[in-house]
Amino acid sequence: MAFPQRQAAIVGVYTTKQGKLPDRSSFSLQLEAIKGAVDDAGLTLADVDGLLPMSLTDHLAGTPAHQFWAEQLGERPLSLVELGGASGQLAKAAAAIAAGLTEVAVLFYGKAGQLVGPRGTVAPKDKAPRVPEWSFMQHGAYMTTWYALWARRYMHEFGVTSADLAEVAVFTRHHAVLNPDSVMGRKGEITVEDVLSSRYICEPLHLLDCSIDNDGGYAIVIASAEVARNCRHEPIWVLGGAEAYYTDFYGTINDPWFPEGGKSVRKATDRAFGLAGITRDDVDVAGMYDCFTITTIRNLEEMGFCKLGEGADFVREGHCRLGGRMPTNTDGGLLSNSHSGDPSGMHTIEVVRQLRGACGDRQVPDARIGVSLQQGWAVHGMGSVLVMARD
Amino acid sequence: MTYLKPLPDTSELNRPFWEGLRQHEFRVPRCADCGDWNWIPYPACRSCQSEHQVWTAVSGNAVVWSWSVVHRGPGAFNDEVPYTVVLAKLAEEPRSLIVTGNLVGIDPAEVTMGMPLTVVYEEVPEEDITLYRFAPVR
Ligand SMILES: [Zn+2]
Repeated sequence: MAFPQRQAAIVGVYTTKQGKLPDRSSFSLQLEAIKGAVDDAGLTLADVDGLLPMSLTDHLAGTPAHQFWAEQLGERPLSLVELGGASGQLAKAAAAIAAGLTEVAVLFYGKAGQLVGPRGTVAPKDKAPRVPEWSFMQHGAYMTTWYALWARRYMHEFGVTSADLAEVAVFTRHHAVLNPDSVMGRKGEITVEDVLSSRYICEPLHLLDCSIDNDGGYAIVIASAEVARNCRHEPIWVLGGAEAYYTDFYGTINDPWFPEGGKSVRKATDRAFGLAGITRDDVDVAGMYDCFTITTIRNLEEMGFCKLGEGADFVREGHCRLGGRMPTNTDGGLLSNSHSGDPSGMHTIEVVRQLRGACGDRQVPDARIGVSLQQGWAVHGMGSVLVMARD
Repeated sequence: MTYLKPLPDTSELNRPFWEGLRQHEFRVPRCADCGDWNWIPYPACRSCQSEHQVWTAVSGNAVVWSWSVVHRGPGAFNDEVPYTVVLAKLAEEPRSLIVTGNLVGIDPAEVTMGMPLTVVYEEVPEEDITLYRFAPVR
């Protein structure tokens, strides 16, 4: 059984303003994004018959997402509703479109007014808060701590330094400076020294090793080949995609933690590239979930663009930077463009814009094949990959 | 002083673990069928899916597998920065080897990779619960 290549295409993308948006609600960002992406495709809401809410998208309390959005978008029956994490969700949507389950589906997310980082946790006044039984929160840990913990182990095992990690923040900020819509671009370029002298959040991770924490929304429209040919923009075809799940939610460190053969991200990448019929060398532009600098280094290894322990070398050799072999996170990524809570779809949007040739100063010349990676739970726990092509 | 840091919402299923902490024992589910250890506790053995697991006390001896000094803490933890969170590798090497915990009784600057640790117990005032922490072996 082969993946239905080029039978579905991304036809619309939209990002709301990203940043501090005190006057907006999550819902209004979601709605703006849905309308914006549908309009970008040259379609109308009446054409939409599938919905792909990101897993962390909130909706009217007490009503399942399916029913809330079906009613909100015009009291019409919808053919397909699939929650997920962007890259893999779009791969499954492409397969569903090819199988006739839906014709036009919209992936969306939006969040306002709620911080994801430690500033979002307020100390109670009178009684200790309860957390799930094995939650790392009872030990004072949170996501940054968890990434910091295995980052230190990784650095110890492979001789990687804080300056190596900082190189990721530096090239990603360079891309953000070239992206007029990025949150951090206007702050200008940074150096390795800037990263190392920024304050520690959780050692060995400094402030500038961490993604930003802002509001924002986005949406992506995927449609059948027939619909895609009549849309406003050139279709960006889905060649393949896959997802993989492995560990639980920050509860366990499996042994070995850094296996040669990789974990979820490797499995999803191998499958996606196999289905798409491409090799690592075919990738012109990549978007990879980069919640911390260490994440990009491990993504590169797990996706098989370099060997285990060589991710920092790959970055230092300039392959990820615009002008390099495989420009990565050309919008500035989660580190310097936007991290709005569940931002995995942003990487796909930037790759689509690159394949459309719509990226202005940050355009990768002649980008033809692009890849987006969503990952979670420390690069090991889950991953999903989408392979896209311009023609 | 009232304890305001997060506490676990304990379940009936894992009552023997929390009861163990009260008796200053760190208990890990061990599979009665294949002998494998399972941490964090899961309802069935990850190796053979047997539901016959036995809460078995470990020695409490461990080494530092990794650690992080936290400078920006969530909620009430932020009053205690800098503090140390450790991934401790238990001597028995239960799957998944590593237990997350607070490291107490040491200056964060003195923590080293592989340093010997032991489990210590902290009774939470005004709450009927004992928590585990790690401390260096002196
Ligand atoms: Zn077993």
